[in-house]
Amino acid sequence: MRILAAVVLLLLAACTASTPEPVRLKVVASPELADLGPVLAELKRATGVELAVEHRGTVEASRSLAGFDLAWLSTNRFLRLRGAEPALSSSIMTSPVVLGVKPGKRAVLGEKPTWADVADRAAVGEFRYGMADPQVSGGGMAALIGVATAAAGTGAALRPEDVSCDRLQGFLAGRVFDVPDPISEYTRRQSDVDGVVAHESELLALNASGRVSEPLEIVYPRDGIVLSDYPLMLVDPAHRAAYDRVVEWLRSPAAQRMIAERTWRRPVDPATPRDEKLRTGIGTALYFPDTQQVLDRLLVFHDRAGDGRQVIFVLDYSTSMRGPRIAALREAFASLNGFDRFYTGETVTIVRFAGSVLEERSITVRGRPDLDALLAVVASDDLRDNTAIWAALDHALRLARGETTVVLMTDGENNAGPSVDEFLRVGRGEVPVYPVRFGEASVAELDRVAQASGGRLVDAGAKSLLEAVREIRGCR
Amino acid sequence: MHEPEFKAVDPRKRFLLWFVPPLAVFAAGLTVLLVSGHVTGPFRHITVVRAMLASKRDFFQDEQVKRILMARGYQVHVTPVGSRDLARTPDLDSYHFVFPSGHVANEHVKARRTGKHAVPFRPFFTPVVLGTFREYAEALVKAGVATPYDRGEQPFYYNLDVDQFMKLVVAHKRWSDYKLANGNRVIIQSPDPCKAYSGAVLVGFLASAVDDNPPQTVADAEARAREVKPHVDAQGQAGEDMAPKYFAPEGPTHAVIAVIYEHQYLAHQLNRRGADKERVLLYPTVQHQSTPELISFSPEGDRIGELMMTDPALRRRAVELGFHSLGWNGATEQDFAGHLTGQGLPEPPSGETGRVALPKAELFERMLDVVGDCR
Repeated sequence: MRILAAVVLLLLAACTASTPEPVRLKVVASPELADLGPVLAELKRATGVELAVEHRGTVEASRSLAGFDLAWLSTNRFLRLRGAEPALSSSIMTSPVVLGVKPGKRAVLGEKPTWADVADRAAVGEFRYGMADPQVSGGGMAALIGVATAAAGTGAALRPEDVSCDRLQGFLAGRVFDVPDPISEYTRRQSDVDGVVAHESELLALNASGRVSEPLEIVYPRDGIVLSDYPLMLVDPAHRAAYDRVVEWLRSPAAQRMIAERTWRRPVDPATPRDEKLRTGIGTALYFPDTQQVLDRLLVFHDRAGDGRQVIFVLDYSTSMRGPRIAALREAFASLNGFDRFYTGETVTIVRFAGSVLEERSITVRGRPDLDALLAVVASDDLRDNTAIWAALDHALRLARGETTVVLMTDGENNAGPSVDEFLRVGRGEVPVYPVRFGEASVAELDRVAQASGGRLVDAGAKSLLEAVREIRGCR
Repeated sequence: MHEPEFKAVDPRKRFLLWFVPPLAVFAAGLTVLLVSGHVTGPFRHITVVRAMLASKRDFFQDEQVKRILMARGYQVHVTPVGSRDLARTPDLDSYHFVFPSGHVANEHVKARRTGKHAVPFRPFFTPVVLGTFREYAEALVKAGVATPYDRGEQPFYYNLDVDQFMKLVVAHKRWSDYKLANGNRVIIQSPDPCKAYSGAVLVGFLASAVDDNPPQTVADAEARAREVKPHVDAQGQAGEDMAPKYFAPEGPTHAVIAVIYEHQYLAHQLNRRGADKERVLLYPTVQHQSTPELISFSPEGDRIGELMMTDPALRRRAVELGFHSLGWNGATEQDFAGHLTGQGLPEPPSGETGRVALPKAELFERMLDVVGDCR
């Protein structure tokens, strides 16, 4: 009998799955993954693998994974841009970067808002938000890419030429803070901010935490979002066996369910049941750019937000403009909205001219009434004889303060004041001039001036004046 | 008052009474588990076979396949990689077998194994298809570039006229032009053509729409590639295997037309209770059938290859996972259509239309390098 019992015990011991060696792996993870604590405790219990996590922003961590065994970031796209993506990578869960809005401010954005609507209200101070710092955070960078892709409006991924002009300033004018941890910052400053751009998971967790006086409404911008897919990556191939164990467990139904329930991220396993809130349609994902150059350029735009910039419009009010032309010009000004709106902090100068300068008006935008004041200048019916283009442009360039762009809109030939040759004989500094040509204006002369200044000629003959102005909005 | 009574109980009998019934249950259960491959016996030797696989890892990662192989004494340890990367990997020789997805990679691997053990097996094939969603397929029907294939109110399969589709792409049409709430351009999203075979096949599809005669010189191949490139670039950074995300509830957000393999779609449909009516396939008028080859580098690999060709349980499971199985003579086996219709899924149009003529391997590789800016 004792022998039988011993044999059975031996058999039992042999059949029990051998407990794997306990392993401790160094992991770099996005900061928002700090909420995975209970999941990681369960992982350790089930697989024997302990993940010792150091949190770093995804953009920052993507610069170097040296010294880590695994990486668990919101995306591997930044690594891929550098050609530094680890060979083994497995998506565990997803969450879109979206907008959380206070219920009281929700109506300001309209019914199904786009990023363009957000930019439009942010530009004039009607919507103030916080976001993650795109220099370090994947969520912040995703937001910037999303907004810039929507602003370019090509329906395709951003190319370097799509970000040659800066169309983000209106959106960024509404930004109250950008910090590595926007959710904590929001809870501290919720009384003076209208919303926050962050992952859906972070917003749902914030709402459930009771740390906000009123839960945020989640807005999935209609023109598209960027989706984080949280791949777990094997950095040091020596830990392949443990990595496989971790991935297998994290993708198991029990773990996927725990992730959905505890962290508000969307499970990658289609069969995992999910909360109603995680079933909301998230709409279109914007295509992700394929060059680092695009990202670098977006960061330049981001970093210079808030610097007072100046744009000078030099507008032809000679009598030939009477009728449909002046109407089109006024219409173009009135229709500058969305990403093209004049924004808080921007100084807009309008120089009206005919045979001489008729009026000069500078307004630094603080809110919507300033936009109305600008429209009032353009609404003037004071049209006169003659066209002194180069004298007016000379006058405008003398008004330039700091970083300035000049937009020259004319329909005719220069017939008063200095000639173009005389104008160009004098050194003009660094201010780029963007002539918008319509009617009978001379292409050759306008093009010469544009090129000499570092600007570019836009021909409004083939398109509307509004499209022409939009094309060069934000160029410098 | 009674004295307490003592009953003399035979301790051996008590032990047996307590011990035998659970032992019987355990022994019976163990036998079942051992036979089915759920667990390994203490005396059975399990051979771990190291394999590098592209999209066909779906087969070896299937729980039932793992169990069948375990019952035969094998455990396949899978390293996932795209086919083109597979063919170039420096540690190729360290695996027992590899399983690239397509012809070019197959040939590349065999060339690298010249003079060494390299035995090919072709257990099944599956075409490259375009996974989309019903409203998008219907939009393409309205745009005149797609036609439903199977009858019924809600067809699962559509034919896509690649030449006509390419006209929409070249014209920078957007889905919003066809009344869908999506401002993105009408394009097909694929994995990186530098890495994955299905990404490469998309380049082949689009190139054939530009001109259905494959290029004959390097200069021709490069010129053709430059014509196709902007339409592949429009999707921005390409991802990895698209199938898992296509089948997630967020599928339409990830990609509205994704290059996948037919078997991945069929496995998804067969795996569910009730068909997924939202996800449908587009079959390009010119098709490309990937005939993946299991290329064995060792006796262990040979054994897996032989099992794939002969083991009835494995071959049945391959069909359940959506593969068209092939016999030793390369002929299609009959049970495929029967299995699908038995599960309420119509037979797909695979193999019915013309095949895309891909350029010669070295020219095709050159095209891919130009289109993908491959490093």
